[in-house]
Amino acid sequence: MALTLTCPICGERNGYEFKYGGEDKGPRPEESGLSPEAWCDYVHMNNCVAGVQKEWWYHRDGCGVWFTTERDTTSNLEIHNAEVS
Amino acid sequence: MMNRITNLPTLKIDPSKAVSLKYHDIPYQGCAGDTVATALYAGGVRIFGRSLKYHRPRGLYSLDGECSNTCMEIDAIPNERSENLPARDGMVVREQNVKGSAEHDKLSFIDKLDWAMPAGFYYHTMHKPAALWPLAMKQIRKAAGLGRLSPDFRQTGRFDEIFPSTEVCVIGGGPSGMQAALSAAEQGLRVILLEARPWLGGFYDYRTVQDDHAVPLYERGRKLAEKVSAHPGIRVLTHTSLVGTYNNGLVTAFRRGSSEDSFAERYIEIRAKSVVVATGCIERPLLFENNERPGVMQAGCAHRLLNTFGILPGKTAVFAVGHDLGLEAALDLHDQGVNIACIADLRTEGQNPDLLKALESRDITYQPGQTALEAHGKKLLTGVVLGSMDGSSQKTLPCDLLVASAGLTPVSGPLTINKGSVAYDAHTGSFLPDKLPENTRVAGRILGLGDPEAIEASGHLAGLQAAQDCGLDSAADLQKAEQALAELPGPEKGTDFVIGPVSGRKSFICFDEDTTIKNIKQAINKGFDVPELIKRFTSAGTGPGQGGIPDHNLPLFTALYQGSAQESVRPTNRRPPLTPIFLSTYAGRNHDMAKRTPMHDRQKQDGGIFRRLGVWRRARYFSEDLSCRQEVENVRSNVGIFDGSTLGKFRIHGPDCLKALDRVFVSDMHKVKQGRIKYTAMCNEDGCVIDDGVITKMGENDYFFTTSTGRAGATVEWIRYHTRYEGRDFHMVNLTDAFGVINLSGPNARKVIEKVVDQDISNEALPFSGVKGFSIGQNVEVFVMRLGFVGELSYEIHVPSSYMESVWDLLLEAGQEFGIMNFGVEAQNVLRMEKGHIILGQESEQRTNLLDVHLGFLWHRDKPEAKTVGSLALKQAEQDPDRLKLVGLKMQEAKVPGDGCVIVDESRIRGYVCTIRKSFSVDGIVGLALVEGPLAKPGSVVSIYEDECKGNLLKADVVPLPFYDPEGARMKA
Ligand SMILES: [Zn+2]
Repeated sequence: MALTLTCPICGERNGYEFKYGGEDKGPRPEESGLSPEAWCDYVHMNNCVAGVQKEWWYHRDGCGVWFTTERDTTSNLEIHNAEVS
Repeated sequence: MMNRITNLPTLKIDPSKAVSLKYHDIPYQGCAGDTVATALYAGGVRIFGRSLKYHRPRGLYSLDGECSNTCMEIDAIPNERSENLPARDGMVVREQNVKGSAEHDKLSFIDKLDWAMPAGFYYHTMHKPAALWPLAMKQIRKAAGLGRLSPDFRQTGRFDEIFPSTEVCVIGGGPSGMQAALSAAEQGLRVILLEARPWLGGFYDYRTVQDDHAVPLYERGRKLAEKVSAHPGIRVLTHTSLVGTYNNGLVTAFRRGSSEDSFAERYIEIRAKSVVVATGCIERPLLFENNERPGVMQAGCAHRLLNTFGILPGKTAVFAVGHDLGLEAALDLHDQGVNIACIADLRTEGQNPDLLKALESRDITYQPGQTALEAHGKKLLTGVVLGSMDGSSQKTLPCDLLVASAGLTPVSGPLTINKGSVAYDAHTGSFLPDKLPENTRVAGRILGLGDPEAIEASGHLAGLQAAQDCGLDSAADLQKAEQALAELPGPEKGTDFVIGPVSGRKSFICFDEDTTIKNIKQAINKGFDVPELIKRFTSAGTGPGQGGIPDHNLPLFTALYQGSAQESVRPTNRRPPLTPIFLSTYAGRNHDMAKRTPMHDRQKQDGGIFRRLGVWRRARYFSEDLSCRQEVENVRSNVGIFDGSTLGKFRIHGPDCLKALDRVFVSDMHKVKQGRIKYTAMCNEDGCVIDDGVITKMGENDYFFTTSTGRAGATVEWIRYHTRYEGRDFHMVNLTDAFGVINLSGPNARKVIEKVVDQDISNEALPFSGVKGFSIGQNVEVFVMRLGFVGELSYEIHVPSSYMESVWDLLLEAGQEFGIMNFGVEAQNVLRMEKGHIILGQESEQRTNLLDVHLGFLWHRDKPEAKTVGSLALKQAEQDPDRLKLVGLKMQEAKVPGDGCVIVDESRIRGYVCTIRKSFSVDGIVGLALVEGPLAKPGSVVSIYEDECKGNLLKADVVPLPFYDPEGARMKA
């Protein structure tokens, strides 16, 4: 694949080594008073940005760290110092 | 070799080394360096196969594999490109798409029926009435497609893959590519150079004309190639075809192995910082009636047959060309004894005067402003009609070779598949690179250049530009190189001539799909007015050659026929793979790599029958009796020994480790104590149970836990994922492979262990759910848990992997007198099922939650601050009465249904059987099933559907669980 990602520990590596971990949606919400709908939104709904988005990746075939990075979903390339929409 | 010219300095064959292939059961002698096609051609073969639709005879045309003309079945592999494939001793070659032989094809009459098959024929005729379609399809299937693959065919050979990274990747090993590689490498950069032919040199290697220093071009190319090959910074990959270019500097290719290579074909995925495309040109086919009759070939094909392979392509030749390369070919052919009857040149100006002088000195008839209008000959070429481009002053010349070429076509596929573009250039009459992909440079003939010095200078410049892409500051060198190029001759004048005034009925614009000029006109008349649409309606360019033949002719003719500007059209898009590649090559080596436990060899010796289970190979049975009766009964009555090493084993420690555990495990982790184990489970966000295992406390902020075999690989990832926002301070160590596990189960288990340890392991000292570390055999430290998965007194002994065999031996020896025996995964499966213990993945699927399998008691619902994964979903699922529930089944009859059989009523599926076996511990056939709530009460009767039960549903009673030892007295004994 054309994608490469920059692991904060190992540096720029082939995209094959990583596993996608979804959009960056922020920490888990507090459970008390949380409606089922709000919970479902957090777990299952995505923004599906056509453009640059912040997202989680796991360096599965590497050091095993979870990290966030910015990727342009239209070119499937990592963007450095991007302004996230 | 009698039929070869052996004294040419440009030869790439070794006439002293014979290679023998078989075609039609007749041996053909070629020589080392031959391709399959050249070996056959030297042996007199002229018709290599028949065309897809009309079964027209087809022969050698380009020698670079741009069309399916010479696709053949070689060693049972169809559609091998015989023009590109080096001949090897013993190859068996067959022609394709013939009924009979290539020479005598019983389907050749179809050529006369072309009037009945206009463009889009299938779309028009085959859809009504619908009932006819299956019949029509059967007939079309028989006729469609090139080549046949036997269903019994198995591809042999090694297929591997490499993933090199480099600074600069140069595509094309001709003069400009070699110069680009050298100039980049001289900047200290690593370069990979790809070349499709088995040698470097490009269009230099067969040309005898001399440069300004009186050096023949083949000599100049050879010197360049030596320099490139000797440079330590350049990795040369010859005989390597491009598959695709992608963004982020990714280039994929494959290399066909020679007899010396360790692979049959190798996939190559290159990551480069900059890519130089120096793919040069192919020839643009000249269009006229019967333009693909065997005997008609392109200038480069005829020229290379002679100079590279030492073969005279014909006796009497007519040339219909539009470029100096054609004149060069004519001179060389003439000098080796081919009678050149006439050269028709599309051009009336711009020819190299030296070449014209050379033709004149040889008395070769040269007619500018003339071209070929029609080829004669029933199967093979017998003559050609030449005329001026408006069709006037026609004359017919007999010949057995017609060298036909309209000009050159830059090979821009590597640019356009990566979002680059081309634009029409009136000076060259072709489509030249316009917008380049990021960090991509171009050099050489792809820019329209023809002068050797200019071609090489453009390569030098591209190498420096690539260095700049790599972050090198080469501004001064760049400026010099740009200036040098500017002072040299620019792009050559070319022609955009497509076709003379002929009907076009037998003028083929695409050989692979038998698309004629007439078909293109039909498509345009129906309103398909751009090449991309015409391509789809007429199939032109969709064959194995990927549009190599119709490439520029299609847009040029589209513009010509519609009277529109050439600037308004574009060649159609290419797609990877640019060159056909074996699926085996994509698949690569056998990736089915399984793990073995430390006891693997021993279990094999003991007669274990192994099965692949997840990533492991495990001993499933220890006898041919697949019911495992003896293994099961021995555990119930004596003691069994089991290799449980595949169990996931983890240590987690650090100040925040409890918080992490509370996040992913459903139980209250604060209750986990030292010296005791706790059974618990993990859910996903939907409350569906994904893992179960036991956990114990080793010390302050230090825990050890096990996971199911299948889940071990994802455990670290899972726990880190679900704690990723909080910056928790803990560490995990995966000990799965560091420790083996011996499971000792049965009423005699304690007696066995007592003999090898020096500590008290009585029921009081190590009770059920207890954990203890002690040493075995004097000094092996082990860690023992008392569990009851199989429902008997049972010890799970965790042993450092390297000591596994020793400890195993000690236990076996100690167990002799108590009837110790191996048991395998299947026996364990029966034993635990009898006990009503579940295996995740067997008694659960994607949607099965913790409550469905009666593990709700594990769930500590009152820890909201832990935000336990799945907890919220479980709270909602609690209210849902429609979920499947785990139940025990007892068959009413003596038949064992298969695992996975569905449970049905009159109208629908109500659940399914998870595991069901003939039980030797309890009477009857019993099992576990997931069924809808209303059916889950003991006393219900369910109906099981099995394949081929012919409506006779099997009946089973829902019974309470477990089947065996409901009080648990045995496992707690
Ligand atoms: Zn890493």
